[in-house]
Amino acid sequence: MSSRGDVLTGKFIFVLMLLVLFGSDARLLAEQQDANNKKDFFEMSIEELMEVPIVVSASRLPTRLQYLSAPVTVITAEDIHYSGLTTIPEILQFSPGVDVRRLDRQRYIVGVRGLFGIYSDRTLVLIDGRAVTIPIYGTTHWENLPVLMEDIERIEIVRGPVGASWGANAFTGAINIITKKPNQCLGGLVSTTVNEFGDTFTHLRYGHTQGQWSWKVSAGYEDVEDSDAAGAGKYTSGVPALNTLMGFDSFKARDWGRFWKFDTQAEYRVNEQTRWSFGAAHSSGQEGDFEFIGVYPRRDILTEYTRMFGRLDHQFDEDTSAYIQWFGNYLDNHRRVITDRTTHLQNDLEAQINFKPADNHTASVGGNVRWDRISAHNNSSTNEFMFDRGEYNEYWTGLFLIDRWAVTERFTLEGQLRLDHYSATTTDWSNRFTALYALDEQQNHVVRASFARAFRSPTVAVRRGSSSYLQAPVVGGLFVTQPHAGNTLDNEGTYSFEAGYTGRLAENLSLNVDTYYQRMERLIGVRSVTDPATTVTTSTFNNVNGADSWGAETSLAWQYKTVKISAWYAYNDLVTDEFAQITRSMSPSQHKAGLNSRWYLDKDWTFNTNYVFQNGKRMYATVVKDLSSFNRLDLTLSRKFAEGKGELIVGVSDVLNETTDPVTDTGYLTALETPGRMFFIRLQLRF
Amino acid sequence: MFLASALFVILTIPKARADSTTSREYQLKAAFLYNFIMFIDWPEEKTSDCNGPIIIGVIGNDPFGDAFEPVKNKKVKGNNVVIERFKGLEELKESSEKGFQQHPQIEAIRKCHVLFVCSSEKKWIREIINLLEGDGILTVGDIEGFLEAGGTINFVMEDKKVRFEINVTAVKRAKLKIRSQLLRLAKRVVEEKSSDGEKS
Repeated sequence: MSSRGDVLTGKFIFVLMLLVLFGSDARLLAEQQDANNKKDFFEMSIEELMEVPIVVSASRLPTRLQYLSAPVTVITAEDIHYSGLTTIPEILQFSPGVDVRRLDRQRYIVGVRGLFGIYSDRTLVLIDGRAVTIPIYGTTHWENLPVLMEDIERIEIVRGPVGASWGANAFTGAINIITKKPNQCLGGLVSTTVNEFGDTFTHLRYGHTQGQWSWKVSAGYEDVEDSDAAGAGKYTSGVPALNTLMGFDSFKARDWGRFWKFDTQAEYRVNEQTRWSFGAAHSSGQEGDFEFIGVYPRRDILTEYTRMFGRLDHQFDEDTSAYIQWFGNYLDNHRRVITDRTTHLQNDLEAQINFKPADNHTASVGGNVRWDRISAHNNSSTNEFMFDRGEYNEYWTGLFLIDRWAVTERFTLEGQLRLDHYSATTTDWSNRFTALYALDEQQNHVVRASFARAFRSPTVAVRRGSSSYLQAPVVGGLFVTQPHAGNTLDNEGTYSFEAGYTGRLAENLSLNVDTYYQRMERLIGVRSVTDPATTVTTSTFNNVNGADSWGAETSLAWQYKTVKISAWYAYNDLVTDEFAQITRSMSPSQHKAGLNSRWYLDKDWTFNTNYVFQNGKRMYATVVKDLSSFNRLDLTLSRKFAEGKGELIVGVSDVLNETTDPVTDTGYLTALETPGRMFFIRLQLRF
Repeated sequence: MFLASALFVILTIPKARADSTTSREYQLKAAFLYNFIMFIDWPEEKTSDCNGPIIIGVIGNDPFGDAFEPVKNKKVKGNNVVIERFKGLEELKESSEKGFQQHPQIEAIRKCHVLFVCSSEKKWIREIINLLEGDGILTVGDIEGFLEAGGTINFVMEDKKVRFEINVTAVKRAKLKIRSQLLRLAKRVVEEKSSDGEKS
């Protein structure tokens, strides 16, 4: 078996060989393929040409950043590129109000304004507005998403409830990953990254346009070594009393992963008014497993995840446009640590029409129908999370209405209203009302006030699943996890009051301030009752109680000639109604701060820094789990060559080596130390 | 060792050469000109022929190269878009036997909907603007002082990004209507005062 050093040396030499091979020919390639590499600027809107941030996730309508009905942070393709990062959660942590913690080398927990955890879908995750979160457990399998980093056009992070636009589970916020359209990535791309631990991330892409067709094909392979191989990997136990029973002392880090990813999209422009677009993406992953409620089967996790869509866009006239879209997601997951095999088939049909019902009004009306088919194949092992027998179907229908009314040149009102019916739970509604007022004629200073309501639907797992085994004593007696009796969990509900300011203080200086108070009710967690006669503790999923959340996020961005700097601070607090109330998730870090900068040193050299601080927090669950404070600083230096067709990035993430501490998520009794500081190199060629 | 090797490689890569083909800047500006059409309403006499093309003219030393190639197959507001290129004003004057205002190219320029005034025409901006006054033409340039000389829209570069500024008085003078959405995106909106100076 090769050592870690051998693996690293081999992979590094591979990158150098690529550099020699392609570097010498890159100029020639660049010249030959220059025509293919041109973007079709004529397909872009004027805002896109100006690179004015346009956001769709706050209200389903393309809207300029200053006039949004909810606070949104945009991570651009350039931010992603120069960060050198290889996973989506890692780039998310450098944005205000976003909590990101790493569980191991594959898995992250991510949330906006808190209540985040691997089984907490209170932050809705979307790709191009299409659902990503798996409704069975409420999990986003970040590592399995069939989207490659260089294919991301931007990520929109909406803070606050936006259920009125997107339906259930946009409870504390939403993260919408917008991918590049085929005509935004014409020509070829070869990119490979290798780091000091021997992880490799390779991405190939080709995009082309011919006549009315444009298409792109992306393929990638990601190979991540485990924490042991990366010099960390030490387990810690949250419940020392269980160590022997769990076989804790024999645990080995198995957080490695190998992923094949494919993504293809095509567009057919029928005429100036009508466009078809199609896409299919697939990821095939194999990972080592992990401990869950004391179970550690040491069997690899196999995940096949396919996403497809078809969409028809039509512009009826200058003011009226519409689309109809189908998307399908198919997940086949062998995760013995939870259940033997779970499959999830999701079909969704949705439509939206945008029109002007009257002068100064812009409206959107739409809805969707969704069918989820779920099956869990239990193999009767006692170490499994059990579902109801057989396959079953659940349905969701939603209707929304959004109206934006420019009352005067400086005063705008926006109302959003949405009604959703779930076959397995209940009918519920969401809204968002916003008033925007420009303080000056040039509209450089805009204030916002909003009220929003949203809900979260209980996941399938807490409605229909149960753990099939007894656990050893935790607090005085046996611990049994059971489903809620009668399948009658209510939706979680929330409402929020928000106020914000977006201002252009000077030519190159902008300031955002957003404040909020959010009330959450009927939060689903675990309620434990101990029978004094038997000393058996029975825990059930329940609508336990509520919580209050409040805070503020502020960011200051400065751009002058060749320097871009943004600094931000977020205060996010959350207090549950009951002390030590179990919400199956984590509260936000109260204090978060960041500083991101980019220095275009000359035409070819770029220096990028990303810094984030998150303070520690005490979490109360079955056992007390503390989150530690950390500072993280990432540095990259990029150099372009061959007329910008080639690029080499060298970087180091977590320079301060402060992100190594284990994080114990809900449902876990152990946690794993992960490696922190990491040097890497990336070679990228475009042709 | 890893970092040292990487730095060695990055430092020894040959330096990039200057761009040789139509620059990205003018590809972008071409797309802006095309986009402007959607935000402008021309006077009736300019749009009387419903099926007629929308003409984008370029006067002077054309920096666009083949940047307008993709426009060939496109329509805006149901009309084809045609690109026409014209000699510089000085050359037109020199080649005119009679008064240059009767030069066929001047007649053709008057039919344009959008006219990009190239930087080679810097000396003649006022004359070109005065010549076309009242013809319902959106004049666009990328020359310092273009708006002050009476031009309608001027491109400026800001951190490698194309921005534009608008002279709303010139818009009115050209009998054009400009949508507020475009005004909002402008880096600077200039309104000429009746006698002296401007406010922005």
